[in-house]
Amino acid sequence: MLDTFEILTTSGVVLWSRTYAPIGPNIINSLIRDVFIEERIPPQSEDTGQKPTYRKEGYTLKWTTAKDLGLIFVAVYQSLVHLTWIDKLLDNVRALFTGLFGEELRKEHSSLVDCDKFGPYFDRQIQELERTSDGSASAPNVKLTPPSSSNDSAGEEPPLLPALQKPQRPLYDTSADSTPVPTPDTSRPTTPAQSHLVTAKARPGGKLSRRDRKKATAVSSAPASSGDEASTKRKASGKSAAKKNRTWGEFGAEEDDPSMVLDYSQADARDSTSETETLEEIKPETWGRKTGKGQFVLKDLDEEMDAIIAGQNAERQSSVGSSGIVGSSLGAIGGLFRNVVGGKTLTKEDLAKPLRGMEEHLLKKNVAREAAVRLCEGVERDLVGLKTGSFTTIESTIRTSMEKALTKILTPTSSLDLLREIQTVNSSGRPYVLSIVGVNGVGKSTNLSKIAFFLLQNHHRVLIAAADTFRSGAVEQLRVHVKNLKELSKREGGEVDIFEKGYGKDAANIAADAVTFASKNSFNVVLIDTAGRRHNDQRLMSSLEKFGKLANPDKILMVGEALVGSDSVAQARNFNNSFGPGRGLDGFVISKCDTVGDMVGTLVSMVHATGIPVVFLGVGQHYADLRGLNVGSVCRLLMS
Amino acid sequence: MAWYDSDSWATAAFAPHLSTIVITLLVAVVLPILLHQFVYKRATPTTLPSFLLLGPSGAGKTAFLTLTERRAVAAAPTHTSTSPLTIQALLPDSFTPESAHFRSPGDPAYERARRFLLVDTPGHGKLRHFATGQLVNPTHVCGIVFVVDAASVAEEAGLNEAAEYLHDVLLSLQKRYTNAKTSKGPREIPVLVAANKLDLFTALPPHLVKIALEKAVSDVRKSRAKGLKDSGVAMGGEDDGVDEEREWLGGGGEGPFEFRQMDEVGTSVVVKGGNVLGGDGADVRGWLEWIAEQL
Ligand SMILES: Nc1nc2c(ncn2[C@@H]2O[C@H](COP(=O)(O)OP(=O)(O)OP(=O)(O)O)[C@@H](O)[C@H]2O)c(=O)[nH]1
Ligand SMILES: [Mg+2]
Repeated sequence: MLDTFEILTTSGVVLWSRTYAPIGPNIINSLIRDVFIEERIPPQSEDTGQKPTYRKEGYTLKWTTAKDLGLIFVAVYQSLVHLTWIDKLLDNVRALFTGLFGEELRKEHSSLVDCDKFGPYFDRQIQELERTSDGSASAPNVKLTPPSSSNDSAGEEPPLLPALQKPQRPLYDTSADSTPVPTPDTSRPTTPAQSHLVTAKARPGGKLSRRDRKKATAVSSAPASSGDEASTKRKASGKSAAKKNRTWGEFGAEEDDPSMVLDYSQADARDSTSETETLEEIKPETWGRKTGKGQFVLKDLDEEMDAIIAGQNAERQSSVGSSGIVGSSLGAIGGLFRNVVGGKTLTKEDLAKPLRGMEEHLLKKNVAREAAVRLCEGVERDLVGLKTGSFTTIESTIRTSMEKALTKILTPTSSLDLLREIQTVNSSGRPYVLSIVGVNGVGKSTNLSKIAFFLLQNHHRVLIAAADTFRSGAVEQLRVHVKNLKELSKREGGEVDIFEKGYGKDAANIAADAVTFASKNSFNVVLIDTAGRRHNDQRLMSSLEKFGKLANPDKILMVGEALVGSDSVAQARNFNNSFGPGRGLDGFVISKCDTVGDMVGTLVSMVHATGIPVVFLGVGQHYADLRGLNVGSVCRLLMS
Repeated sequence: MAWYDSDSWATAAFAPHLSTIVITLLVAVVLPILLHQFVYKRATPTTLPSFLLLGPSGAGKTAFLTLTERRAVAAAPTHTSTSPLTIQALLPDSFTPESAHFRSPGDPAYERARRFLLVDTPGHGKLRHFATGQLVNPTHVCGIVFVVDAASVAEEAGLNEAAEYLHDVLLSLQKRYTNAKTSKGPREIPVLVAANKLDLFTALPPHLVKIALEKAVSDVRKSRAKGLKDSGVAMGGEDDGVDEEREWLGGGGEGPFEFRQMDEVGTSVVVKGGNVLGGDGADVRGWLEWIAEQL
């Protein structure tokens, strides 16, 4: 069953929540982090009809958003249960919530939305959806139409009724509750018909109408107002008189005593029903009376809900495909005007052309097509349904959005301070191991030497392991580098040496030996050079897994060329996946950045494919030509 | 036509013509009015003073914001933020804004002085550009509340993250000061380091938070000094000069860093403890007092 449903803003405030079984806040936090911020899970488009899902610690999360209001609706349930109606629930709740509170949500400088009264709407939705999905005898959409004779009295009622908060609903029954367990059949939509008859008679003006009879025979959706419910209600209300205000606990709205989940919903509802009545004033009689009228109010609620949902859906429809034949010319002129002045609600069609332009622009900057398409899709997802600001064109809106997306992608989640990491690892008494992988000829050894030089400048004792036992000349090349570095390190301080075992040996073993050698000889950093390999060479790639296990580097960097085009995505992905489960790359070194001018798209392609940050940039031929990444200036280059 | 001719402009200006009198009168009446309006506009801020909430993710920024907005009632539950949020808040009655000490509570100006904006920013590493964007041109920012989780500061990773972020914030404040054109320097922006979650058993007390952060910021400064230059450079070519001159936080970058060193660059840093949630209710008095001092 559903564990938790939350409605929160993008700024992180939970506006409304309903908890059936408490879950830790970290579950939804990691959804936000992994999906919305780091985009580790490629967000599916909502067009497919299926809501995206996210799994964490045995829970399944489904969500939907209302972008213009900055809302996220999340449903959390155990992965073991299979709930088919969650998609529908999310859609309906979104429509209802935006319909009911849209105005309040648009208020500036406020995060306060009084949505206590949302409880009954939500419960009603769940009830209805559960019923329809139950597949029992019930017709899918039994409308509750009470006798018209009592409509007037129903009109005065606030749009909810105690009967909605059915305590005996199985949803609430997660904990051993103190409430006497009601007969199980009341909890099901398949309530025995006779209980409805009882209610019908008890109702004021208690004539049994034709509709009522029909309802009683058809299995009614409203389990409300059954005979035995009235008794439970009274018990519940007796208890609720002693109830305190709702408290906001760690897991959302919940009562002090978690075993009182049942009453929680009632408290919630009561708050909104009777704003004037204080809690203590609620007497069993009041409850009873209201229960008696329950069904009429229920009907009002249903109608209101349907109206809101229909209205919201119509709005969505019209904003999606607004172009009709009627008044098209007028609309076109208005659209043009708004395009210049701003304040236009963006649709897919509006965005299509400028986005294609943006995609072309990115491709020209050497961003791989796949990454460019995904970036543009992300921007489209962000913008559809939004209004452009005043005096901004669609193009500039797209530009800003794209700049934001690029910044977000390129900015690393946590800082990449190599020196500090080395310090931390060394203080635990072992050398820091860094290894470099990449395809042939991208400049692995050169960049390795640059990193070595940088470390030498900081007075580290560096051991360079020649684990490229494959390509002839590789060891000699490293030896030359080490000789140069030794020369330089005389001036800079620090110490460097090479660890070599010739050709033909197993690279993983050499690497492991180098690490042992380093810790014996008090080197504090080991840099491992590996053989270049084609990323689609199965045999060589598979040896990387063993390498990762044996040498167990603290950091694995992949060197990629800034010149490489669309291949970059596949390269990054294959290398990232080659170390077996639980291990991947830790960063990229992009070499030869000085040769590409402003076509720095490779950075974006590689990061986009893997979500792994760029740590270093190689910008020249000299040992000192190594740089960190400045996200701002790269974005500027890309957008120029 | 020379200026002393009978119908030159100079003669007309001093002659008792009707038009001359009208123009003179107009100038005499309208100019003070315009001047008054101009000065008045400048003097009363049209926007409220705002306080920026910064700090690493999970520190409790959004929680503090909701607590302040809801006043006295408990904070709303929160999750990781992905977008900034600005709210208007009113100082609780028990605090008096610094600028309104001599006003009586009935005075409308007193009420106005109690109002301020609180700007929450996402603390996730990838989303700090919202915060740094605000720091570039902080026109209405009259204080920065840097929230840290006093419990996570007790661990290496949490401490480093907080220190790095704090270092960057302080550095950009320092740059703002040193790059200022006027000799007086820009308006001061004080920083409050709010050590949150003191209700937790594992939380460090505020004075230890201060010591730990100062030490960690010195470390950050040291490793930044040794670290590689940022690039962008050499790729576009033209912006090579940008980071030619790098700046170090605090007096020249020597010795251990102390928050006191920031006073020289117009930024006072104080550390105060508190907790937004907790068994015995929230305790954010210290922070609100600080805000009141800045108002
Ligand atoms: N125990 C305790 N928990 C707190 C306190 N303040 C906040 N929290 C909890 O810390 C968590 C994170 O708080 P947020 O306010 O969402 O954190 P944030 O700083 O806004 O984080 P980002 O939005 O990710 O930048 C929430 O689960 C809060 O309930 C406190 O004083 N004590
Ligand atoms: Mg937040």
